[in-house]
Amino acid sequence: MRTSRRPFTATAKLLRIHWPVLLATCVLAAIGTITLYSVSGGSFQPWAERHTLRFLVALAIVVAMALVRLEVWIKLSYPAYAIALLMLALVPVFGVEALGAKRWIEIGQLSFQPSELMKFALVAALARYYLWLPTDRVGRWQYVLSPVLMVLVPVLLTLKQPDLGSAMVFLALGLALMFLAGVPRAYFAVAAVLAIAALPVVWSGLHDYQRRRIEVFLDPGMDPLGAGYHITQSKIALGSGGISGKGFMQGTQSQLDFVPEKHTDFIASIIGEEWGFTGLLFLMAAYAALIAMMTAMAWRSENRYAQLVIAGSATSFFIYVFVNLAMVTGLVPVVGIPLPLVSYGGTAMTTLMIGLGLAMSGYVHGREPRSGNLGPFW
Amino acid sequence: MPDRDDAIRERERQFTRRSLILGGAQATGFLLIGWRLFNLQVLERGHYAPLADENRIDLQILAPRRGRILDDVGRPLADNREIFSATVTPSLAKDLRALLARVGQILPLTDGAIAEIVQRSKKQSRSRPVIIATDLTFDELAKLNLFAPSLPGIATEATWRRRYHGGESIGHVVGFVGSVDRYGVDDDAVLRLPDTRIGKRGVEAGFESVLRGTGGTQKIEVDARGRMVRTLETVEPVHGQDVTLSIDADLQTAVLDRMQRERTAAAVVIDVKTGEIVALVSVPGFDPAAIASGISEAEWRKLATAEDKPLLNRVVSGQYAPGSTFKIVTALAALDAGVISPDERISCPGHYKLGGRTYPCWNSAGHGELTIHEALRCACDVFFYEAARRTGIDKIAATARRLGLGAVYDFGLTEEKAGIIPDRDWKRGNFNAPWMGGETLLTGIGQGYVQTTPLQLALMTARVASGRAILPSIEKKTHSTESAALPFQTAHLDIVRKGMLGAVNEDGGAIENARLGPGRPDVAGQAGTATLAAREIVAQPNERPHPKRDHAIVIAYTPFDVPRYAIATVIEHASVSDAPAAPLVRDILNLVLDHGDGSRAHKNTTGESTVPPRGTGETHTSETAG
Repeated sequence: MRTSRRPFTATAKLLRIHWPVLLATCVLAAIGTITLYSVSGGSFQPWAERHTLRFLVALAIVVAMALVRLEVWIKLSYPAYAIALLMLALVPVFGVEALGAKRWIEIGQLSFQPSELMKFALVAALARYYLWLPTDRVGRWQYVLSPVLMVLVPVLLTLKQPDLGSAMVFLALGLALMFLAGVPRAYFAVAAVLAIAALPVVWSGLHDYQRRRIEVFLDPGMDPLGAGYHITQSKIALGSGGISGKGFMQGTQSQLDFVPEKHTDFIASIIGEEWGFTGLLFLMAAYAALIAMMTAMAWRSENRYAQLVIAGSATSFFIYVFVNLAMVTGLVPVVGIPLPLVSYGGTAMTTLMIGLGLAMSGYVHGREPRSGNLGPFW
Repeated sequence: MPDRDDAIRERERQFTRRSLILGGAQATGFLLIGWRLFNLQVLERGHYAPLADENRIDLQILAPRRGRILDDVGRPLADNREIFSATVTPSLAKDLRALLARVGQILPLTDGAIAEIVQRSKKQSRSRPVIIATDLTFDELAKLNLFAPSLPGIATEATWRRRYHGGESIGHVVGFVGSVDRYGVDDDAVLRLPDTRIGKRGVEAGFESVLRGTGGTQKIEVDARGRMVRTLETVEPVHGQDVTLSIDADLQTAVLDRMQRERTAAAVVIDVKTGEIVALVSVPGFDPAAIASGISEAEWRKLATAEDKPLLNRVVSGQYAPGSTFKIVTALAALDAGVISPDERISCPGHYKLGGRTYPCWNSAGHGELTIHEALRCACDVFFYEAARRTGIDKIAATARRLGLGAVYDFGLTEEKAGIIPDRDWKRGNFNAPWMGGETLLTGIGQGYVQTTPLQLALMTARVASGRAILPSIEKKTHSTESAALPFQTAHLDIVRKGMLGAVNEDGGAIENARLGPGRPDVAGQAGTATLAAREIVAQPNERPHPKRDHAIVIAYTPFDVPRYAIATVIEHASVSDAPAAPLVRDILNLVLDHGDGSRAHKNTTGESTVPPRGTGETHTSETAG
């Protein structure tokens, strides 16, 4: 069955792209555009237009990435991880030099966050690792230790920044990928026990403001102007939306600026206010469809690297959506995680779409026996 | 390879199985969110709907007034001026341009300005106010308020603007404020206010939490268009607290005047008893008022990238090799380790040989036989090569740290650097190489890897002078607590102190020019050169171009008998340590002593046990405590 086949032509590759997945991203981005149009009081400025343009650029990047041979991404996996790690480690050094004065600190915002690069580099590096590792060794402790370190080092570096959100994403992604790669369940049980045992230590190691964030979460009334303010206002917006919502551009909470960060992290509360429970169910259905289709993509891939990057990309979508919606509905403390493809802001969109591009390349080429399990990258 | 195919097939099955489990977990997560939304939006709708319907409650944040920064006698170095600004809320205005045109009859608004305001309003939500003019005159304010009912969407608000007094003399100490770059959701709500300014440098940044205060809240009932119906509840803001500094505005100005004769230099004077910083000047400097009142981007870039780095506070951020001033550390470490006795003589032939290499003394003719006292007096290199070799690097490093080098003190000037006190562990950690014997010699005379800040050098001087582990403070202390004694024998400290006295007052001393003059208190000190080039070409230092010349460092304290002030100065690229730096120390110490004496006669300062007070007018707690 492993007959060598000629490489696909670009047209053949285009046909092999999973277009329904891309359609789902378009639907989600459109929801974003409509909502951003509404929150700016019926205007494409300042957010809706840029959001749309950014998404179209990101979509083009996904397609372009999908056409690149999988071998290229496999080769780039470890270097990308190494670069991301190095930059994460250098953040404290460069952070010192950032002069904070007046408005033109904006100049510094051209810089990007290494933690974002790490989000897909980690997935790629773990997939690369398990592509190399023979199946019978996956369960041996020596071979479990190295991916654990690959995950924990960036987690610790981002915790020091401190960026609790990114650290959590790394941890969840790492656990999910190791689980999918077939690490025996006993390890996860041991990790769970260790994690629970370490809770008191973690609590005492938290920064004051992080501890306060959790306390405020447990009792929002404690800090009506800080984090508690966001949760309270968001809940009012959602609750007043009811089943069918107040209607497009009719959300009083959002129109009157009561919901902070409404165009970024809290955009879901605007959707919930204007389109109600129905609107949010539709939004969640769109995400569920996207994630389910990507899981199916992973099943259909024969290449282990492809399988894992696709599953990793799907999982990162899930983590973002789940944490964001749980935060907006007051189920978890406020962490700065946006609603993917819907929230305004280029960082998360770029990160997730690059992950999707990687996954799509895996899907396009991963069913090609040439780069199958016994390829040259063992 | 059937085995392998089987293994792969099994792996495929495992992957499918596990991704189903993961998918199941994700579905559970979505169901949880869905259930939560059902609760919030369907079951509890009756609870939330009234909160958003009809008249809503708007919670506004009331800005606290930033605390002032005062000098030691209570004169403001930074305070606030109330200014009024006019804003427009686009969502409340029917026709923004027409409205602004009408406002233009009251305020001077050009067409260009109106276009710019309209442009800015498009970049944010229509319901957020846009500033149309700041710093309104009283006349403009009155007219705007009078016509407010016929100008829907126009509002006036009062805010505070930071004001600085003292120009360049206080720039590096006080620092400046700037806009909030970004804030997280759990940051202080005050940071969300567009007018909020936070400390970026100096005391403004270091004492941010004290100065800022706590925001108040105002609950307002608003109608569907966002217009205020009535105020429901007001919690007044808690204004920021004033910070009283230990420096004096007049003395700062006087020291700056003297310092401006040098191109790039730093000086810091510390109260030996309390650790309070009496004067802190770094030239070139900057005027915080110019930055706070809205400096243009071009001007800012010029300041930030200028070659002589005016924004760099050299006292706490400048790191220099301490040169011969470090011999105080080596001397104390050698005495403490018992490897050199006070009377022991070591011969200096002008160079020192170790491991096939020759290390020169600054005086290539040699100093002859020297005791430790004489070696400190003339800062002989060979003596301290031998002392360092006998003591060993780890004991030297430990002594340096006990004297305050190689650490930051977080006392309120945020740009503090730690410097470097090298030892075996440091070298292994940074170069992954073992420590070399020759490096001990170089460290022993304050060259090589050693880096110190002027603040640390002043602290070292104060600790040697007092024998106590004092800590720096930029805040005026309200009560004096005595610092713990250093773990050195008084006899050893006395030898070092007398060596420093000799360096200033005996013939052949390294810094004779630091003497204050007849009838003035005795000074003890040491001079050092931070070598920038290889020692071999130091021969004609003055012929080198300015940026390649060595830095001159002088440390000193006075009066010798009852130590009161410790000083450290650095003149960058000065070449010969004695030439410009010692007179600078002399002049600054004279300024500090004169200032400290106030109107009292000079004769009180020497010999008597009373501590000369600093400043005027205020009662001095240090005096009553001592």
